[in-house]
Order: sequence, then structure tokens, then C-alpha cells
Amino acid sequence: MSTLISLKNIRKIYTVGLEKVHALDGVDLTINHNEYISVMGPSGSGKSTLMNMIGCLDTPTSGQYEFEGELVHKMDDNQLASIRNRKIGFVFQTFNLLPKLTALHNVELPLIYANVIRKERLKKAREALEKVGLQDRMHHRPNELSGGQRQRVAIARALVTNPAIILADEPTGNLDSKSGDEIMQVLDSLFELGNTIILVTHEEYIAKHAHRTINLFDGKISKDTRTK
Amino acid sequence: MIRLLLENFQIAVTAIVGGKIRALLTALGIVIGILSVTLMGTLISGLDQSFEKSMSFLGRDVFFLSRFEWFGGQEWWEVRNRPKFKLDYVDKLKEQGKRIETVAPVMERGLDVSRGEESVVGVRIFGTTPEYQRTTVVNIKHGRFITEGEVRSGSRHAVIGWDIADGLFGNENPIGKDIKLGNHRFTVIGVVEKQGKFLGLFSLDNQVVIPIGTYQRLFARRGWMRMNVKVDADHVNEAEDEVRGIMRRLRGLHPQEKDNFAINRQEAFRKQYNMIKYAIGGTGIFITVLSLLVGGIGIMNIMFVSVKERTREIGVRKAIGATRNMILGQFLLEAVLICVLGGAIGMGLAWGASFFIDKFIPSTMPVWLAIISVSLSVVVGVIAGLIPSYKAANMNPIEALRYE
Repeated sequence: MSTLISLKNIRKIYTVGLEKVHALDGVDLTINHNEYISVMGPSGSGKSTLMNMIGCLDTPTSGQYEFEGELVHKMDDNQLASIRNRKIGFVFQTFNLLPKLTALHNVELPLIYANVIRKERLKKAREALEKVGLQDRMHHRPNELSGGQRQRVAIARALVTNPAIILADEPTGNLDSKSGDEIMQVLDSLFELGNTIILVTHEEYIAKHAHRTINLFDGKISKDTRTK
Repeated sequence: MIRLLLENFQIAVTAIVGGKIRALLTALGIVIGILSVTLMGTLISGLDQSFEKSMSFLGRDVFFLSRFEWFGGQEWWEVRNRPKFKLDYVDKLKEQGKRIETVAPVMERGLDVSRGEESVVGVRIFGTTPEYQRTTVVNIKHGRFITEGEVRSGSRHAVIGWDIADGLFGNENPIGKDIKLGNHRFTVIGVVEKQGKFLGLFSLDNQVVIPIGTYQRLFARRGWMRMNVKVDADHVNEAEDEVRGIMRRLRGLHPQEKDNFAINRQEAFRKQYNMIKYAIGGTGIFITVLSLLVGGIGIMNIMFVSVKERTREIGVRKAIGATRNMILGQFLLEAVLICVLGGAIGMGLAWGASFFIDKFIPSTMPVWLAIISVSLSVVVGVIAGLIPSYKAANMNPIEALRYE
């Protein structure tokens, strides 16, 4: 298996008032292609910061971050936007769909920023929605969809650019257990299809879907276990 | 890049349509601003057109010598006691002035003109010479103008204006027919083509021209005389000095005495007109700038609100790969679009109003004005949208996504 992501001695320090908070305090982590990883830890342990770091939404205070050979820690805003667009698919706890757009147009959105022509965009968006089983809900707006369906639209949006990694931040956190199970099934099947998935969660039983679990504590990796 | 612009255009349209009333209210300042600038422009261009048309009757190279200044601030009694003009000035001016091309004496009064039962009241009767034709615009439609011979013999021949021909003769040919000026019988020898109104004040078609000798004999031996002096068009200002010199000599004025006559020029009208024009223009520009300023601030405000409301959207867009410039463009376009929408409404209203104004002053909205209005709207949109859009563009995606 080839290396997808390599983090070396990553530190992220926030200054809150006069106090310096070490959100990440020397994290070393290597993620290979087609891994299924869950990230766990109590709140304040640096989970979110790590996800933002891996998702190229944030840059480290120090350390090296390589993403498929690209040096993320040296990137400027535009380069970060570009790598997010090309390589990363986000799935959020609160779905974060645009309320005025239909499912299809929500899914189409990343391709607009990738400068793909309209016809091609719509074709890919349809395919992505089919993958998550929403082909008959394409023209519904988010408020006409159930929570589970919304999250599936969000997953389709994350998939549509064919990213190198899917980052799911508490994807079942706002769902009932049945819808949550459905979403996990979708993620499982995406892993089976060869995608790399990182999952942030509080729930032990959700984390069990992953094949590797990383535990964070006080900005450091406290445990890195391969379960399957 | 163009594709992105198109996408942003769609996003902006969706956002504006989604908040119709808000957008409309916000654009009100722009509507008023553009309305006032286009209305003012239309008005001025209409005024300009009719002014220039009227001015063509007062040639740039023609002086109007008279006892009165057209727009004078002189003491009334001083002007009233000025000596009258005499007919022999004509030859003296012609002989002594090198830059004088011709001189036409003019006497004028109001009179009723009739033919049988038909009559036209309040007609201006002009007594003058054939030279008159060279000092103003008199295009003969039928027949001919008065001749030197008729002036000398004092014959009862008259050239009538279009409205009089129309009023007294209808479709008949008036040439050779008789009319009465007051109680005196005259024969029509010519009809002047339709000329319209002078500055919208009085009709140039309600006039009768007769030989000056006849005029003096029948209507006013004393009356006031003025003179139209046509001069070398290339040396108008030198000619004015020359005419002033000759007149002062004719009047026997000492160097320290003031002129007791007036040399009126088209310029006098132009000055007055420009004052009116600047007043209208200044007021219009003031209202425009003020309402565009208020409108612009309104747009800026609504854009701040829009950016705040859509913080999460901005976060999402950034997370999935929108760059700073793309977000900037999205909101900037929205601001510009609201402004252009407002501008279009304002222009539409002004266009409608121009039909109403047209009833009083001939006016149509010039194309350049429409272009200026649209550009102005765009500029206001860009300026008003810049800071909010910049704020949106520079949002931290992590914080934006977390925003409730």
C-alpha cells in the first residue's frame, strides 16, 4: 500500500489571551491509500484540529504535512483551496448543504470550483447521487429530505470530485440510529470500492466500522491500533 | 473564468430573487439616483436642442443694437432717457465699419391682422429692409421677400408668417391677396416657412414683415428702432469694439461717458441659458450624488447582512474548494447586480417621464446617458460591495463552518 498522507511532528499552537494552547503537540501519522480510520478522543484532545489539518483547512504552526507528495505546510490559501477541491471530500455532522439548491446542484458545487463544464458536472453529480441511492431525490431541496437523505447528499457531494480521501466528522452525530446505520453502510461500501476514509466519532460502535483507530489525548496520539 | 462568472451570476440571481423586497428596497437609493441623473440629462439635452434651434435665429455674428440691454441691470430711468436710433445710422455704420457686413433697421409693434371676417390677434409687425434676411433666418416658402425699391417707395407689401397664412387663408394661396394690418390694406407677397417658437416663449410664425418706410409712415413715425448688424464672423469681438466706437462717435459721447445704447449678442442669451443649465445640472448632480451615496451605503449594509447570514455557506464553499477570489466575485457580483437592477428601474422611470416632459420641451433620452447610468450603477455596486465581499472572501473556513 502506498502512502497517501504523512504528518511529521505536527504542532498547532493557538494563542488564547495570554495563554498558548497546544492543540496538536507533535503528531506523527502516516495514512496509506484505502485505509479506513477512526479518530477518537475526548473533547479538547485535538480531534477537530487534526481533522482540519488533514482536510487542508488549516496549516500547522510547525512540522511537515505531505499529501501525495504535495507539501501542504508550505501552501498558500489558493493552493489549499485547490487541494481541498481536488483531493478531499468533507462530510460534516450538520450536513452543511446549501438550503436554496436542490440535491443535484449541491452535489454539483465542487465541480463548479473545479471548472468542469456544465454537462459533465450534471452527469457526475447524478452518478454520485446514484452511488448513495438518491437517484429519485435529485431535484429535492434539503428541507424536503430526511436527515439520513441529507447526509447521503453530503456524501455524494464529497464523492463527486473523486477525492483521494473522505473526511467524515461525526457523520452520524445528528441522526437517529437507523439513519446512522444506513450512513455507515454507505461509508463501508465506499471503502470497499477503494476509497480512503477518516472518521471522527465519539461512539465506540461507529469507530468499530474502521480498520484502524487513532486515539488522541492532549494533542498527542495516545494509541494507534489496527483492528482488522 | 467566464464559466465561474456565469455560475456566480446564477448564485447572485438566486440570492436576489430569494430576497426580492429587501433587494428592491435597498436599491431604492440607486433608483432615485439614476432617475435624477437621467431625468436631468434628458431635460438638459432637450433644452440644449431647443436652445440651439432658437439661437440659430440670432446668428453668432449678428449684433442687436438697441436702447436696452437684453439682460441688463441698468437703472430704468437711465435707459428710458437714452436717445433713439435713427435711420441714417444704417448707412453710417455700413460706411465706417470695416468689419460690418450689413445693417438692417427694425421697428416692431403688435397689431391685429385680418382678412374679411377672419382675424389673427397680437401679431408682431416688423418694419425693415431687405438686409433683414441676411441678419436672421427667414426662409421664404412661397413668393418673395421685400425689396429695396419697396422700402424706398413705401409700398404696401407684406411678408407673412406661417401661422397667419394658415389662419387667414387655410389652403388658399395667399400670394397677391389682400390683408389688413389694423386698418391698412396690404398685399401679401411672400410666406415664411414654419419656424416654431423662440425658446418656447413666442411664436416666430406669428409675424408680418413690411418695408420700413411704410411702417414709419403708417404706424409709428417715432417708435423705437433697433438694428441688426451682421459682422465678419471671424472677428466678432473686434467688430463689437468697432461698432461701439462708431456708435459713440455718432452719439458724440465723451470718453468718460457711459454708452447710451446696447450691443446685444447671442452670448447674452447663452450666458443666461448656461446659468439655468448649471442650476438644473447642479441640482441634479447634487441629488444624484446624495442618493447614490445613500443608496450605496444601503447596498453595503445589506451586503454585510447577506455575508453574515451566509457565513456557513461561505464556509462550505471554501471547504469544497472555492478560492478567495471566487467568493469575492460572488458577493461583488451580487452587489453590482442589485445596483444595476436599481439603475434599470430608475432609467425606466426616467424614460417614461421623458414622454411627459416631451410635451413641454422636445426631449428624448440620449443613448450616452443610458450608458453612463449603467456604468454609474456598476461603479456604485463595486464600491459598495467591495468591503463586505472582501470580508466574505477572507473568512476563515473553519470558523465559518462552525458559525451558528
